[in-house]
Amino acid sequence: MAPPRSYRTEALTLARSTLGEADLLITLYSRDRGKIRAVAKGARRSTSKLVGHLEPLTRVQLSLSMGRNLDIITQAQVLSNFNPLKENLAAITKGLYVAELVDGFGSEAQPNPAVYDLALDILEAIAGDSESELPLRFFELRLLLASGLMPELYDCVECRQPVVPGNHHFSPNVGGTLCLNCSPPEARIRPLSLRALKVLRLFHRSPSSKPPSLTVAPALAQELKTLLASTISYWLEKEIRSNSLMEHLQRESKSAV
Amino acid sequence: MTTDPTPSASPSLTRLIQELNKLPGVGPKSAQRLAYYVIRLPDLEAYALADAITAVKQSVIYCQECQNLTDSSPCAICADTQRDREILCVVEDPLDVLAVERTRCYRGLYHVLHGAISPLNGVGPEQLKIKELLARLNKDGITELVIATNPTLEGEATAMYIRRNLDRGKLMVTHLARGLPVGGSLEYSDEMTLSRAFQGRQELKAG
Repeated sequence: MAPPRSYRTEALTLARSTLGEADLLITLYSRDRGKIRAVAKGARRSTSKLVGHLEPLTRVQLSLSMGRNLDIITQAQVLSNFNPLKENLAAITKGLYVAELVDGFGSEAQPNPAVYDLALDILEAIAGDSESELPLRFFELRLLLASGLMPELYDCVECRQPVVPGNHHFSPNVGGTLCLNCSPPEARIRPLSLRALKVLRLFHRSPSSKPPSLTVAPALAQELKTLLASTISYWLEKEIRSNSLMEHLQRESKSAV
Repeated sequence: MTTDPTPSASPSLTRLIQELNKLPGVGPKSAQRLAYYVIRLPDLEAYALADAITAVKQSVIYCQECQNLTDSSPCAICADTQRDREILCVVEDPLDVLAVERTRCYRGLYHVLHGAISPLNGVGPEQLKIKELLARLNKDGITELVIATNPTLEGEATAMYIRRNLDRGKLMVTHLARGLPVGGSLEYSDEMTLSRAFQGRQELKAG
């Protein structure tokens, strides 16, 4: 018997771009199928039944039919549109950053339910609190964990000795924490404070994919951001585009104060 | 060493294929078909196409007022003294100006942003004509700004960005109504469209 030519799946819409005269090319992350790129036929027409359901950062239930190259979306129904998130520019930017990282780390036909659940929980957290950047740091670390790229936080990656409380080094390209005695020649070393290490370990050990409620000093928040951003860009081997808008908005907010 | 992707006895034909291949949505096979079509065209038609491309590159400029594409600045709309110069409609693209003009219900001026904030495509506020809009609002006697960006995530983000950069003076800032399209269907509407349609409901006047 021939395999079915259509399927149903639940997915998060990550991005969309125009295709042809009136179609949209939608990038989705499905819980049970991984990343999907599919076409929504005629979705740019104002009377399209699909378009409102396929805005980026929406959790949707979809029916798709398999195409030769790209699958075709035949039905879409919004499950959650994270509504408060889309009414605030800072929250939208953070949401798009989450989408860009899921797109970057996701692979087609390789489902990773942990990444899917994490993305939904983080979008909920951003919708609830658009000011704090800590949920993004939690998301970055847990995304690395769920993708099998978790940096080592407990032993020195060079001498394999457990790291003792104190200041250490961190290197994304050799795999994580280094004690002060070890500095492999190829390592791009960054300082790692004890407080930053503790926060990273807290994120790692958190039993839930919801970010813990935590407040950190601005200097520590900046250190965590630098450490995780260097690790993310090392693995993705590209610049995170939505970062520049986030930084632009932060610069404007600071200059307005 | 680079290999020629489209081996041909004619280098000029190869060049045309390569140039056509650079156009959006035109793959190598389509580029070949278009190039052979151009060869079979009557001379006059082929030269008219080449002339049109040359002319558009030489004469089309941005209007210094509204940033729309035009042959002369200010453009016909900005130069029209019959239009209401106190109301300004902000749109994403030049084609949106044509769409609004077709309605014949708006007689104010325009400002074209040439896109919407879309971080995933590398488009930030600096790439759009937002700086020009803010400068225009400061010097012209505009009393109402109609933000007519698309009701998409990118369009909404652009509208929010413009709003937060405006001086809170006498300027009234509005945006187009959200809701159901003519010929649409309630059954297939998403929650956000339908809830906004309810928020924007209007009194039904006796016919």
